Amino acid sequence: MPISPVLELEAITVPGRQQPRLANLSLRIEAGERVALLGPSGAGKSSLIAVANGLLAPGSGQVRWEGQPPARAGRRRRRQQARIGTLWQDLRLIEELTVQQNLNAARLAVWGWPRALLNLLLPLDTAACQEALRRMELDPALLDQPVAALSGGQRQRVAMARMLRQEPTLLLADEPLASLDPRLAAELLALLLAQAQPPRALLLSLHRPDLLAGFDRVIGLREGRLLFDQPLPRIDAGLLAELYGQANR
Amino acid sequence: MSPAPRAAAPLIMLLPALVLVPLGLVLPGLIHGGGWDLVGAFLAAALTPSLDPQVLQSVFGGLAVTAGMALLGWLASLLLGLGLGLASSRLIWQQLVGTAQPAEGIRRLLAVPRSIHELLWGLLLLQLVGLQPAVAVVAIALPYGALIARVVSDQLDALPTENVDALRAAGAPAAAALVTALGPALLPGLLSYGGYRLECALRSATLLGVFGLGGLGNELRLTLQSLEFHELWTGLWVLLAVMLLLELGLGRLRRRWLMPRRLELRSGRRNGANAVGRSGREMVLALLALLPVGVLVGHALAVDPLALTHWQTLPPWSPDWTTTLGLPWLGLVGSTVGLTLVAACLAVGLAPLLLLLTAPWPWAQRLLGFGWALARLWPPPLTALLLLFVLKPGLVTAGLALGLHNLGILGRLLRESVEDTSAATARGLEAGGCGPRLALLYGRFPPLARSYLAYGAYRSDVMLRETVVVGLVGASGLGSQLLESLSSFAWDELLALLGVYALLTLAGEDLSDRLRRRLLAEQPLPHVRG
Repeated sequence: MPISPVLELEAITVPGRQQPRLANLSLRIEAGERVALLGPSGAGKSSLIAVANGLLAPGSGQVRWEGQPPARAGRRRRRQQARIGTLWQDLRLIEELTVQQNLNAARLAVWGWPRALLNLLLPLDTAACQEALRRMELDPALLDQPVAALSGGQRQRVAMARMLRQEPTLLLADEPLASLDPRLAAELLALLLAQAQPPRALLLSLHRPDLLAGFDRVIGLREGRLLFDQPLPRIDAGLLAELYGQANR
Repeated sequence: MSPAPRAAAPLIMLLPALVLVPLGLVLPGLIHGGGWDLVGAFLAAALTPSLDPQVLQSVFGGLAVTAGMALLGWLASLLLGLGLGLASSRLIWQQLVGTAQPAEGIRRLLAVPRSIHELLWGLLLLQLVGLQPAVAVVAIALPYGALIARVVSDQLDALPTENVDALRAAGAPAAAALVTALGPALLPGLLSYGGYRLECALRSATLLGVFGLGGLGNELRLTLQSLEFHELWTGLWVLLAVMLLLELGLGRLRRRWLMPRRLELRSGRRNGANAVGRSGREMVLALLALLPVGVLVGHALAVDPLALTHWQTLPPWSPDWTTTLGLPWLGLVGSTVGLTLVAACLAVGLAPLLLLLTAPWPWAQRLLGFGWALARLWPPPLTALLLLFVLKPGLVTAGLALGLHNLGILGRLLRESVEDTSAATARGLEAGGCGPRLALLYGRFPPLARSYLAYGAYRSDVMLRETVVVGLVGASGLGSQLLESLSSFAWDELLALLGVYALLTLAGEDLSDRLRRRLLAEQPLPHVRG
């Protein structure tokens, strides 16, 4: 039986004020693929990520996660959403809770109310949370720290650990490296790329073409349209100039 | 050994709702069997209020009296509060005289009028001078003035003094330096709090009416007691419309003048220092414009402050301290505290619980908001009377009435604060498959949980003071005994009861202040007490 793509977008259009935010966009991402999303500001990268994680319903076109269209609402939809992990640029950690409570917040989609409430009282699933931190090269002793007490780099890693604790098949990241210094950006990108093993896939939007090294495929987006969708070796200075140069003219 | 579990604040928000468990066990025993048809008729009448011209005339006449009493009482409390607030500010005394000692003394004295509920002031004055329009005005102005004085002095003393020092170093006289340096920073917060007190004054004036001091409250009680539910709802709908318009208007003014909200649940850091210049002038002018309005309203309502000096002939006072000492003090204090706890747990715990339960349905949240508006404008003694249709009188019935009223106040505050917090974290959780209820609990409650609980602690101390208003049907507690002693002119009992009541409310205030300080740890106290 052929395996369905982790994410499939077909002729997606998202209307905007003056021009569509996404126009007739189609793409497929298979398990194990690591895909970079490039484009100038306002190209529609965030809209694409929002359509991919189900927060934005397209005006027309079809979204499929692991071969299935999004359920309308309810438990089935929540189960689908739980398979999609998103790393937000602003991280969206819950500042007032501890690292462990934040990591466990990723399990809320599958936990019932009793465990969700208990998580606010007791340290739950400590071993799994420690392992999630170790995978992000963080000290497991951080578990009982409040998130507000962490450094910038630690917060990034905790957000990534939380995303992975969700056990998603599709990893989405909306410019997660935008506000980081070059060394930290490279370290975090390497960690993220290492997580994108089958059955997982990664779609990450980027500002900087110099960080493309570990990706399999690069998608160029401009004014809501797909400008190119190529394997990494075929990305050259000409394509990038076309993507950014004309936009800046 | 692992440390004892420490509940996260969002969970503590929900814990008081556990009071529903014992209530659920006790309530079936309190139902006396009859009266359900009356409750049904009351609810059904909501849709068909009486539109009879005579009823409308008496409702609008009553409303005019209530609104006038509220406005006058509020204006007087602002003036009183500002004066007493300045007089009890450590900073002012320090700057003008060089010592803060007198401020401490005045503060302690002000605790007495603050600890006595406006209803008690109203009933006391009613006994002393008879039914005068000025009674309700003074009854509102005294405790409100003392409350506002505390807010003014707290805010003044929390302001940085460097600007004052700089102006004084440049040769400015103390008074001019204080007004110039602190006035603009103080004004927006004070006006915002003052605006909130106007909402409270409308509720208080209605409540005083319920106890016979005239106005719409009186109409509401009479129509409820004579089971004229259609007429009752005419008054209720009109009152609801006025209350919502007032809340809406004050909300607009707050935004226009960049004033802090009634209470900043998130931090309390934003101060009003940005609202100076044009807005500052507007605020002062608006305040000044209110004074002639007050004089006109006073004239229309025939309020004569001098009438308060003509005391009625009272029965001779023959103190009987042995009877006073023989009162069941322990039981009275215990049931007052119990009543407060039931009401506080209901109000503090149910607001977040109901918001969570209705989270998936926007229509249900709107309905909840509407229910809360009704609950906060509907005076608690009337809720108690309504509950008596089906429940036996007692602590639980009184606690339910008080709790439901305060739920309307806390619920609105929590809902507004939730709407003000960023939706990003909650949306992030929903994108990961979290349902709307858990997204609310984890995504929106955490940043405001501690401040909400701190406000709940403050509100509990208000509820302790308010136990007197449900005393009538509570058949328990100091409030009910107070009303009884008052109506039988037992002045010795009354004095002793007032003393104990004041001590109890001051102890409650101290406890709630400590609790708030602990909850807000590093954060400044919410700058608005409401």
